[in-house]
Amino acid sequence: MVITPVHYIVAPLIAAFAIPLLTKIHKDAARIVPGIVLFYNVVISFFLMNHIAEHGMISETLAGWEAPWGINLVVTPFTGFLATMVSILGFIIWLYGYRFKRTLKGGEVKFYEILQMMMIAGSIGIIITGDIFNMFVFIEIVGISAFSLTAFYRSRDGAEAGFKYLLIGGFASAFLLLGILIIYTQTGTLNMAQIAERMPEVPQQMKIIALVFFLVALGIEAEMFPLNGWAPDAYSQAPSPTSATFAAVVSVAGVYALIRVVFTMFDVEGVNNYLMVMGFVTMLIAEIAAISQKNLKRMLAYSSIGQVGLILISFGIGSNLAVFGALFLMLNHSVIKSLLFMAGSYFIYNTDDKRITALNGIHKKLPIVSFFFALGSLAIIGFPPFSGFWSKFYILISAANEKYIFLIIGILLVTIIELTYYLRVVGRIYFAKEEEGEPASHRPSINALVAMSSLALFIIVIGVYPDLIMPHIQNAADALLDKTNYIQQILSVKN
Amino acid sequence: MEIIAIILLILLVGSILSFLINRVNKNFTGVTAFLVALASGVVFFTKVQSGYQFNFQLAGLDLQWGLTDYSYYFAYIIFGLSVLALLYSIKYMEGKARLGYYYASFLMTILGMLGVVVSQDFVSLFIFWEIMTWASFLLVIYNSYYKIKTKGIKYMIFSAIGAYAMLTAIVFIRVHYDTLLISEAIAKGAFNFEQYIYIPIFLLLGFGIKAAVMPFHVWAPSAYSKSPMPFTTIFSGAMSKMGIFGIGLVFTTFYLSNDPENFYWVRTILGWLGGITAVMGTIYALIQTDAKKLLAYSSVAQLGYIVVGLSTGTELGVMAALYLAVIHAVFKGALFMVAGAVEKQVGTTDMTKISGLIRKMPWTFFVALVSIIALAGVPPLGGFVGKWLLYEALITESNNYILVVVVFFSSTAAFMYSYRFLFGLFLGQEEKETEHIKEAPVTMIIPMVILAVIAMIAGSYPGLIFEPAAKAMEAIGFQNVSWQMSSLTNIWGDTTDLFLISMMIFAVFIIAFIFLTLKGLKKTRYVGTKDISTSGELPKEWENLTFQIDFFKPFERAAAPLYSMNMNKIWKNLGKNLEAFFGFFRKLYTGNGQTYALFVVIFLVVLLLFKDVIFS
Amino acid sequence: MMDFQTLFEQNIEIITIAVYGTAIALIVIGLYAVLMKKHLVKIVIGLSIMDAGIHLLFVAVGYISGGTAPIFSPGSENAATTMVDPVPQALVLTAIVIGFAVTALALSLVIRLYKHHHTANIDQLNSLKW
Repeated sequence: MVITPVHYIVAPLIAAFAIPLLTKIHKDAARIVPGIVLFYNVVISFFLMNHIAEHGMISETLAGWEAPWGINLVVTPFTGFLATMVSILGFIIWLYGYRFKRTLKGGEVKFYEILQMMMIAGSIGIIITGDIFNMFVFIEIVGISAFSLTAFYRSRDGAEAGFKYLLIGGFASAFLLLGILIIYTQTGTLNMAQIAERMPEVPQQMKIIALVFFLVALGIEAEMFPLNGWAPDAYSQAPSPTSATFAAVVSVAGVYALIRVVFTMFDVEGVNNYLMVMGFVTMLIAEIAAISQKNLKRMLAYSSIGQVGLILISFGIGSNLAVFGALFLMLNHSVIKSLLFMAGSYFIYNTDDKRITALNGIHKKLPIVSFFFALGSLAIIGFPPFSGFWSKFYILISAANEKYIFLIIGILLVTIIELTYYLRVVGRIYFAKEEEGEPASHRPSINALVAMSSLALFIIVIGVYPDLIMPHIQNAADALLDKTNYIQQILSVKN
Repeated sequence: MEIIAIILLILLVGSILSFLINRVNKNFTGVTAFLVALASGVVFFTKVQSGYQFNFQLAGLDLQWGLTDYSYYFAYIIFGLSVLALLYSIKYMEGKARLGYYYASFLMTILGMLGVVVSQDFVSLFIFWEIMTWASFLLVIYNSYYKIKTKGIKYMIFSAIGAYAMLTAIVFIRVHYDTLLISEAIAKGAFNFEQYIYIPIFLLLGFGIKAAVMPFHVWAPSAYSKSPMPFTTIFSGAMSKMGIFGIGLVFTTFYLSNDPENFYWVRTILGWLGGITAVMGTIYALIQTDAKKLLAYSSVAQLGYIVVGLSTGTELGVMAALYLAVIHAVFKGALFMVAGAVEKQVGTTDMTKISGLIRKMPWTFFVALVSIIALAGVPPLGGFVGKWLLYEALITESNNYILVVVVFFSSTAAFMYSYRFLFGLFLGQEEKETEHIKEAPVTMIIPMVILAVIAMIAGSYPGLIFEPAAKAMEAIGFQNVSWQMSSLTNIWGDTTDLFLISMMIFAVFIIAFIFLTLKGLKKTRYVGTKDISTSGELPKEWENLTFQIDFFKPFERAAAPLYSMNMNKIWKNLGKNLEAFFGFFRKLYTGNGQTYALFVVIFLVVLLLFKDVIFS
Repeated sequence: MMDFQTLFEQNIEIITIAVYGTAIALIVIGLYAVLMKKHLVKIVIGLSIMDAGIHLLFVAVGYISGGTAPIFSPGSENAATTMVDPVPQALVLTAIVIGFAVTALALSLVIRLYKHHHTANIDQLNSLKW
C-alpha cells in the first residue's frame, strides 16, 4: 500500500508546522498549502475506499506496536465513508473560504488556515482512530482549534462564545477522561476493539457508570440537549466557513464518537431508548428555539442541532435500516447545512448585519446565492425531489418498522416547525420589500460559486437518483452494526 | 424511454426553458409556456392510453407509473384547464414582473399534478404531491410581496400537515402490507377501517386538506384569492381535485365491497364535514365584497358538495361527485378568468367600487352569465345535472335527509352570491371611473368562451362527461355503471330530455332577446348614477349610491352568530399561543456559560442517579 | 528508625485512601469553583484543579503496591509483574499537556473578554442568548 491511513494525520501536521515558514517565502502559502493538504486527504480517502472495497478493512498500527498495545487506525466501510465525506466537505469549505480573508477582521490568515485545517484533520482522526485515548486527543485537537476559531474575530461576542465553548468543552474532556479511566481500570486496555471484547466481563454497575460519563462527554460534542448551550453561540460567532465546518465536519465527528462508543464498546441495553428520547428532546427544543431567532446564523445553528437530534433518534432506533437512514441524514445534513451557511454568510457579508430582517428582498442583489439558500432550505426540510427527502423517508420507514407511531408524528410535527421558519426566511429573501441600496458590494467569487454549486448539484442529483450513493451508505451501516467482525479483524490483523 | 417520463421531462425542461427565455425576451415567455403545455397535452392524449404502466426501481423501492381510467379522467381536467389558463396568462401577465418565475412555477405545478395522477405507487405520489405543493406555493406568494408572513405560509403549513399525514400513512402501509403500489395496497385491504385504522384516516386527512374540507379549509380562501388569477383557475379547478382524486382512491375498498354498511361512520362524518364546508363556504361567500374572495369561498363550498357525493358511496353519488369535479373546474375556471379579466382591465375586483361593466365588456359578461348559471345549478347548464344527481343520491340511496337539507340550503344560498357577483361587476349604473374601460384582449376571451361553451354543452349532453366518468368509476370498484347521453331518469322512471329542455330555454331566450332589443332600441334612455332625485333632493357628489355596499346587510345581521364562529381565528390563536409557548422553552438558553455548565453537571448527576432505571 | 519505604508500605491503605480522597476532593473543589464562582479567572482555575484531580486519579489507579518503575533493565527482565502500570502515566502526561493548552487559551480569552466588557463577572457575559 502506497498510501496508508496515517497520511490523514501526518500531512496536516507537517503542513501546520511548515506554513509559518512557507509564508516567509510566499505570502499566499498560508492559503494554498491547506488546500493541497485537504485535497490530498480526498485522494487518500478515495484510495483507501477503493482498497477496502477489494481487500477488506484496514487496521494500521503505528510505531510497530500491534493492535491491542499500540495505537491503531481503522478504516472500515463505515469510518471510510465518514472520512471520505469529511475530507471532501473539508476541501469544499476550503475552496469556498479561499478568498475569505477579506472578512477576517484583524485576524491573521495563516492562523485561521492552520486552525481550520487542524480542525478538519482532527475530525478525521476522531473517525479513523481505533484507540479510545487517541480519540480523546483528537477531540482535544478539534476542541482547541474550534475554541480559537470561535473567538477568531477579536470581537466582544466572539470572545464570549469562545469562552462558553471552552468552558463546556473543558467539562467534556474531564468527563471523557473519567470515563476512559473507569474503562481502563476494568478492562486494562485502551483499544476499542479489545474493550468491546472484554466488556461482557465488566461488572454491570461499573459499565453503566462509565457509559454515563461517556454519554455526557460525547453528548457535549454531539450537541445533545441539555449539553448544547455552547453550540448556538459558537456557530453564530465563528467565521462563516468555520460555522459550515462545525455543522458539516465537527458535529459529524461528535456524533461518530458517541455512536462508536455506544454501539461498539458497550453492550448496555436501554441506551437505544436513551438516544431516541434525548434525540427527540434535542430536536424539539432546538427547532422551537430556532423559530423565533432574529439572527440568521443562530437560526441555522439551532437547525443544525435539530438535525443532529434526528440523527440521534435514528441511531437510537438501532435497526439496520435506521442506521442507514441516520448515516444518509448525516451526509445530507453536512452537505445542505454547509450550503446554507455558505449562502447565508454572503448575505451577512453584504448587509453587515446578521439579523434576518436585513435580508429583505436581497435576492435582487445576490440572485445566485439566494437561489442556493432557497434550494438548501427546501432540501433540509425534506421536500422531494431533493436529497433531504430520502434520508427522512428511510428514517420514518425504520421507525414504522418498530411501530413507533408517535415518534413519527412527533418528527413530522417538528418538521412543520422547521418548515415555518425556513420559509419565513426564504419569503423574506424573495418577497419582502427590498431596501433601497446600491448593488451588492461583495459578489460571490468564482471559487465560492464553484463550492456552492457542487453542493447544490449533489443535493439535486442525489435527490433525483439516490441509488448513486445508497450502496456506500448501506455498506457503512452494515460495517457499523457488525461488531464481532470489527473486533476479530482488528485483533487478528498482523502487519 | 417511457412515454410518461418523456412527458414529465418536457414539462420540466419547458419550465427551465421558460425561465431562461424570460431573461432573453419577456414577450416569448408566455407563448413558450403555453406551447410546452399544449405539446405535452397533445403527446399525452395521443400516445398514452389508460391501462398503460411501467415499473422501475429507485432507491431500492419498487415503483410504478401508469394510468387507470380513474387517473385518466383527472388528467383531462389537468391538461384542459392548464392549457387554457396558460393561453389566458399570455396577455394577463403581460408587463408584470418576474414572468420567468411565474411560468416556471406554473409548469412545475402542472408537472406535479400530472405526476400525482400517473403515480401508481405511494412514494412517487408523495414526491409529486410535494412538488405540486411547493411549486404552487411559489405562485401563491407571487403577489403578496409584503405580506409574506401570513398568507403563503398558512397555505404551506396546512399543506405540510396534510402531506406529512400522508407520509405517515405511507410508511405504515409499507410496514404492515409490505407494498408501496396503490393497487396492491387496495387488494390487501390497506384502506379497511378495521385493522390499522390510522392508515386510511391519515390518508383522508392528507387529501382532505388539499380538498379544503372543514376544519382545514382556512388556507383556501386567502390562497385562492392571493394567487395570480390564471393560476387560481388551476388551483381551484384542478389542484383541489387532486384531494378529491385521493379521497376516491381511499374509498375504493369500500366501493369494491359494495356493502352500504361498510365504513358507515367514516363516510357519515366525512359527508357531514363536506356538508358543513358547503354551508360555511357559501355563507362566507355572501359577505365578501371582493369578487375574487367571493369566488374563493364559493370554491370551498363546491368542493364540499363533491366530498358529500364521494362519501355517499352510491353509484349516483360518486357519479355526481365526478361530474361536479369536471363541471366545477369548467365554470369556476371561467369565473376566475372573468374576475381576472376585470382585474386586468379595471385594476380592482372590489364590487363596491365597480359596476355596470356589461356594456364595456360584453364577452366577459356573457361568460360570467353562463358560468354563474352553471354554478347556481339552474337548468339547462352543466351545474344542474350534477346537483340533480347529488340530491337524488342523497334522497333515494343514502336516506340522509338532514344532510339533504343542509346541501339544499347551501345551494340555494349560493343564488345570493351568484347574483351579487353578476350584479356587482356587470349590472347596475356605470361609474364615471369605468368609462375608459375596454373589453379584455382576445387571447383572454377565447379560453373563457371555450369554458362557457363546454358548460353549455355539458348541460345538454352530460353524457359526454358521464362516459369517461363511468369508466373512471369502474376503475375504482363500481360495476356496470349506467349512464345516458342527454337525459336524466329518476327512480320512478320519469325521463327528462335535457337537450329538449335546453333548446326550449334557448329558444325562449332568443325570442326574449330579439323582442326586448327591438322594443328597447327606441325607448331606452341612459342616465348617470347621480341623475336621479330622492324626495326632491339631488344626491351629493360624494354620496355613494352603489347597491353593493351593505348588499346583504339584513342577512348578515341574521347570520351573525355563524360569522363569529371563525375557524380562521381559532387556527390563528392556536398558532400564536404555540409560538408564545415555544418562546418559553427558548429561555432555557440563558446565555450564561455557567448555567450551561450547571446543566451539564445536573444532567450527569441525574443520569447517575437514575442509571438503573434508564440502562439495564 | 524506620525508613520511608517501610513506613509507606505499612500505611499503604491510609495512603491509598488519602490519594484517592485528594483526587476526588480536587475534582469537587474544581467543580465548585467552576459552577459557583463568578470571576472568570477563578473559573479557569477551577477547571485546572478539576483536571489536576483527574490526573491524580489516573496515576493512583496505575499504581501497584510495592511496584517498581516500569523500566526493563538488565537483571530485572521478569519485573513485569511488579511494575506499576506505565500506560496511565503516559496518558496523564498527554492530558497535562492538553490541559495546559486549554488553560492558556482560556486565560487569553479572559483577557479579551475583560478588555471588551471591563468586567470579569460571568453573569454579565450573556449578550448571546435565547
